[in-house]
Amino acid sequence: MRLVLTVNGARREVDPPPAAPLLSVLRDDLGLTGTRFGCGSGQCGACYVIVDGRAVASCLMPVRQTADREITTIEGLANGETLHPVQEAFIAEDAMQCGYCTSGMIISAAALLARDAAPDEAAIRDALAGNLCRCGVYGRAIRAVQRAAGTMAVAVGSPPAMHR
Amino acid sequence: MKLEERIRIEPDGSVTAFSGKIEFGQGIRTAFAQLVANELDVPVERVRVVLGDTAQVPFDFGTFGSNSVAQEAPALRLAAAFARRSLIRRASAHLGLPAARLDTRGGTIGDGDGKRVSYADLVRDAPLTGAVPDNEPLLPPERWGSIGKPLSRVEARDIVTGRARYSADVRPARLARGAIARPPARGGRATRVDDQAARAMPGVIAVVHDGDIVGVVAEREEQARAAADALEIDWEMPKSEPSETQVVAMREDAGTDAALASAALTRSATYTLPSIASASIGPSAAVVDVRPDGATVYAGTHRPFGLRDAVAGSVGLPKESVRVMPQMSSGTYGRSSAPDVSVEAAVLSKHARRPVLVQWSRAEEFAYSPSRPEAVLEVTAGLDASGNMVAWRYDEHTNVHTAAGPDPRVAAMTSGRNAVPPYTIPSARVVLFVEPTPLRTANFRSLAAAENVFAIESFVDELAHASQQDPLAFRLRHSGDPRLRRVMERVADVSGYGKKLPARRGHGFACTLYHGTYVAQVAEVEVAASGAVRVLRVWCVVDPGLVINPDGVRNQVEGGIQQSASWTLLEELRHKNGRVATTSWDTYPIATFRDAPESIAVLVEGDSGAPSTGVGEPGAVPTPAAIANAVFAACGARVRDVPLTPQRVRKAAQPVA
Repeated sequence: MRLVLTVNGARREVDPPPAAPLLSVLRDDLGLTGTRFGCGSGQCGACYVIVDGRAVASCLMPVRQTADREITTIEGLANGETLHPVQEAFIAEDAMQCGYCTSGMIISAAALLARDAAPDEAAIRDALAGNLCRCGVYGRAIRAVQRAAGTMAVAVGSPPAMHR
Repeated sequence: MKLEERIRIEPDGSVTAFSGKIEFGQGIRTAFAQLVANELDVPVERVRVVLGDTAQVPFDFGTFGSNSVAQEAPALRLAAAFARRSLIRRASAHLGLPAARLDTRGGTIGDGDGKRVSYADLVRDAPLTGAVPDNEPLLPPERWGSIGKPLSRVEARDIVTGRARYSADVRPARLARGAIARPPARGGRATRVDDQAARAMPGVIAVVHDGDIVGVVAEREEQARAAADALEIDWEMPKSEPSETQVVAMREDAGTDAALASAALTRSATYTLPSIASASIGPSAAVVDVRPDGATVYAGTHRPFGLRDAVAGSVGLPKESVRVMPQMSSGTYGRSSAPDVSVEAAVLSKHARRPVLVQWSRAEEFAYSPSRPEAVLEVTAGLDASGNMVAWRYDEHTNVHTAAGPDPRVAAMTSGRNAVPPYTIPSARVVLFVEPTPLRTANFRSLAAAENVFAIESFVDELAHASQQDPLAFRLRHSGDPRLRRVMERVADVSGYGKKLPARRGHGFACTLYHGTYVAQVAEVEVAASGAVRVLRVWCVVDPGLVINPDGVRNQVEGGIQQSASWTLLEELRHKNGRVATTSWDTYPIATFRDAPESIAVLVEGDSGAPSTGVGEPGAVPTPAAIANAVFAACGARVRDVPLTPQRVRKAAQPVA
């Protein structure tokens, strides 16, 4: 089934099986392996991508429903070598161990900050509640999102760049 | 030890270091880079660390036991120090100056501000080689650059940009996808495979039945899975293997029973812990390319050389022809000591003559990967009239804790880990019973220490209360180890242990000495009327000897506490006759962002005069008891069975009629 997707601001033509989820198209057809496979049933958050501004589980989303929509993956958050404030903050707080869940967490956080520039801690916990982490970096990740919100508030009036 | 096995100065003057350990989130690549940078007097960014690549690194038995820094730090430091001295010797000849006048600075060597020569120039003609002396002098602390400095993970930028490559992200040319047909229960063997329908399905490259492995290779993963599901297989289930309980006496003092019988106060209790899943966020995956003359394995593994040998054996290749290249790995906490997924990918690749990626599903990971064994811990202790412990009896009933299976030579240090309490007790008998189980069990973070320390530290708390003593004072009076006493006193101090808390809140204390690392913790919990336990705060003081990366230590210990709180309150792998019933995050929930404590405050108070010890596991070890003791302090409920479910807390809180 031929489709044209808009991924990280670029138009990409793909020809996946009709039932394919967005995750397998990103990973297997487009080589965007930064979006991770975790459970295949939308329960862990490892595969989150941003679709039209919302963090969604790409493992559950049929790819045929994503044509005509703006898809942003972890690879598309940075602007060239300039990292997204959430990415910078995760490094600054060392909010990672194995890093497998980190792509999904950063996606959730970036989507949160795009709609709420100054979330309180409860809002951060709620927004990231779908992102499971087994290594246990929740506390650091919360601090990283708070730090990113602070950074972005300082950058006067400029809304967070979702992608290039 | 040969220098060239450990350190190489590259033509551009950067440094490559080699170790057989592997990284899956512990931060050892970062710590190793800091150590080598320190001794070679270069910035950390100039050091690259190669881990676990069997074609490049010296043999290593495996990454476990929080042993990586303890074992490798001395070797890497010595090698780097020897490399620095060798470079100075070459610089002396090069510059025509006596070595004693030369010093290193940022990858160059010279005499003060005079003429300098770079490391790159000094290795242009010949690489550094030679035997590293065991007594090679190290840089004195006043010259340290990287040791003791907090540093974010060297992989951080790759992780946050998605560039980090995990096993399932490896994409060699002609990569095919594999799926395995699983028996209904562990150990089943296929006696007949009808693959007529499967072979005709789209994308199918090969159907494989080789030994115990039945699977399909196809162009896409969905195609491989669909075809594997379409195989018609007759399974023969194994007869229950006769297996005996191993009994290992770990401490056996004469007169223990007599001392118990004559004690002024005796108490007994039984503690239980369920089997739990390693529950990696990334299910097992491996890419293996088997060729007629050799094989390449891209995988996450605790044992690169063990995996090399297992893969070689499974496809009939000499082990020297197999190269294991460990990739970034989802944290597996011990689970990937088993070679299973790589062996499956290897066998499929051999038959398909293509590189094959096998990616386990979430359900496969829960159902077929090894889990932490159950434990039943029976303990009796006696106190004299002045409240001193005089006798201790401890029976540990559990299952095998290692992927290699039952082995009486290692039972005490694996299944019996931390079964002997770190306290002064005149008479003690500690006996380990390693019992058979139909469940697949193996290595999991801290092996049996988390279970044993839950029982010991809960029971010590009970003994203190039973004899009207403060739990901290009771521990201190039975501890002669100054480093253990120090972390205990420090954590009590920073947490305000013993102060009055609002209703239904309590502080719980626990500590451990794990492979040389001292840890003491206080947990603060709140218990709702429903019995639901919320961990509000945890304080932890850790002494791992010489600290290389203080923030790396904090991160590991925080994570250990967070994971352990999840085990303690939420986790139980349910199973029957060897079949796991909890095969999704619905039925096997772990802690989420909403469950995370308000704070986990880890104070790293090392001892720079003591050797570095590990921090990957010990942080997790005292947490279950700290939480259970806090629940008792909050509401009087002594819960001896993990997980501490609301129902159990409610039941334990009811006054006994």
